[in-house]
This record gives sequence, structure tokens and C-alpha cells, in this order.
Amino acid sequence: MEQSRILPWRPPRVCEDYWSEFRHCKSLLNKFHHYYTYGESPSCQQWSQDYKNCKQWESHKDLKAKEDLQQSERTRVAEQQQFTPVWKLRKEPPKDWHLPLNQEKSQEF
Amino acid sequence: MSTTCNGVWTDVSGAEALILSEGFSTKQEEDYGYDLFPERNKSKYKKGSITESLFTFNHKCQVMLQYAIDTSKSRISAIQVFKDRHFACEDCDGTVSGGFDAASSQIVLCQNNIHQQSHMNRVVTHELIHAFDHCRAHVDWFKNYRHLACSEIRAANLSGDCSFSNELSRFHFGLKKHHQECVRGRALRSILAVRKISREEAEKIVDEVFDSCFNDHAPFGRIPHSKKDAKFAYRHYESRDRYNANI
Repeated sequence: MEQSRILPWRPPRVCEDYWSEFRHCKSLLNKFHHYYTYGESPSCQQWSQDYKNCKQWESHKDLKAKEDLQQSERTRVAEQQQFTPVWKLRKEPPKDWHLPLNQEKSQEF
Repeated sequence: MSTTCNGVWTDVSGAEALILSEGFSTKQEEDYGYDLFPERNKSKYKKGSITESLFTFNHKCQVMLQYAIDTSKSRISAIQVFKDRHFACEDCDGTVSGGFDAASSQIVLCQNNIHQQSHMNRVVTHELIHAFDHCRAHVDWFKNYRHLACSEIRAANLSGDCSFSNELSRFHFGLKKHHQECVRGRALRSILAVRKISREEAEKIVDEVFDSCFNDHAPFGRIPHSKKDAKFAYRHYESRDRYNANI
């Protein structure tokens, strides 16, 4: 995707998304699922903080709020990547992914 | 045509399912699980009669598959999976529910073993995760048991196969961290069903890759336990351009 001009910065997510994520995180069902998976309660405070920073940016263009929000999201991304992959990723899908079925295997069983 | 592998979205679901790999001799067919999918071998592209198409398990399978694709919060988006090309309803042996045939990039659904819509949803989800892994990574299904184990761990983890209610229905009662126990167990079972290795060896392989693969939540970014999780994950996917540009 080419960007021919720099767009003004805006929060990575719509502010209401942070709030709905916070509420979802705090919900009983989510707490249950989290305990079932990880054996502990989820930590939801960051979503609330992100929502506050998001609103702060929207209303006052607060630079500190922007930086805190960006940092929070980067941490979130890093947390999702905290593992060494078992396999090597492809640069593009397999060549035969869309080939019609009859053309693929020349093998006779 | 450009295709990507980011974006296989499904509801929470799960199934007993197997991963196939490339294998050509009879012995290799048995070694790699193909003997459970007898229709993969013979005249697989023949068209049936009208009777067969309307009044059989095949028809029911096709209908349920279409429903699973259309009506749930499923989005089979950027992986570009097409129902007629990437899915096949066939009769299978035993109690297996489905599989992913890496040789033809096709998801096999066992029409004789899937009788409920919820089960269909689960199998589709599970197999799509295998398809997604095949699409985005150089997975050696055939020779690398670590790769196989990893995809099975991910499929059991992310498809809802190990949800509390599904486990309850199997009379497996557990709460604290039980999800991980279930994922481990189901990954192990899946490997043992299609590969001739000892239980100890399979356990060792699962242990080796578990931490890495359990924490790999692609493409969801989270473990989708509920419809809301799936909804929020999809919402995040839809606004990924904005997210990446402003982070």
C-alpha cells in the first residue's frame, strides 16, 4: 500500500474501542475464560488507561498522552510476538493454492 | 493475483480432526493418516447422481458447510479460501471429523461423522487454522513432527475445541488452566492418530513446541473464547491499516 502523503496522526484505535475492550476484559465471562486458560485473573487496567489517553489526545492534543498510547500498543504487539516461531514464514502463499484440483497431482494411487 | 494469509476468522468451535500430509505409497498412506480418508485416493473428482446429491450425507454436509461459512461470524477473507476449491465433503473411516490435505490444499469434512451444525462450525474452524498455517509458513507436514505438533496445538487452542463446555461434554472436569491441559492432550491425540511414533516421543515433541505455539494466536491476536472475542478480533483486523500506520 503506497502512502503518497503523510496523514495526521490519530490514535491506533477508535477511542470507544478501548472502552469496549476494557469492559469486555472486566466482564465475568472473560474473567472466567482467562482463569480457565491461565489460572489467574486478567489485567484490564491498561485498556482503561489507553481510553483516557485516547480521549486526552482527542480533546487536548496532549503529546504525552499520544506517546503513552503508542507505547502501550507497541507493548501489546511485542507481547503477541514473545515466542520463537517453530517454522519459517512464507513471503507469499504456496504456488498451488489456487490451482484447479485436477492439475495438481500427477500421482496415481 | 495477489493473495495473503492474514485473516481467517471463525467462531469459537473445535473438533477432532487430523492433519494429513504428502504420502504416496500404501504404507506411507497408513503412516500419514490417509487410510482414514479412503475417498482421497480414488476417482475423487467424479460427480455423483442427482439422488446422491440430494438425499445423502454429502448433501447435508454441503448445506451445513455453506451455513457455517455464511451465517456465523466467520469471515474467510484474505486467505482467499473458496468453498468449492478448498473444501470437500467425503466419507471417512472411524470417528475422525475432518482433515487438511496439504497435497491439494483442501479441507476434508467427514460427511458421515458430522451431523450437527455446531460440530460443522468447529471442524471448519479447526481445519482453517491448519490451512492458514500452510498458507503463511513453510510447514513440513510430512517430515517435521514439530511443525505438525505446532499446528495441532494452535488448532486445538484457537478453534474452541477446548472450551469449558466442550470439555464438560466429554466428561473432562477441570477449571484452573484446564484449557492448556486440553490443548496438550488433543494435540497429542491428533499426532498419534496420523503418525506412527510412540506416545513418549509425541509427548516430548509437544512439550518442546508448546510454549511457542500456544502463544502464537495468529491471525486472531487473542484466543477467541467467545463470540465477543471473535468480534473484537475481527474489528481489529478490519482497522489494521489505521492501527499499523499510527502505532
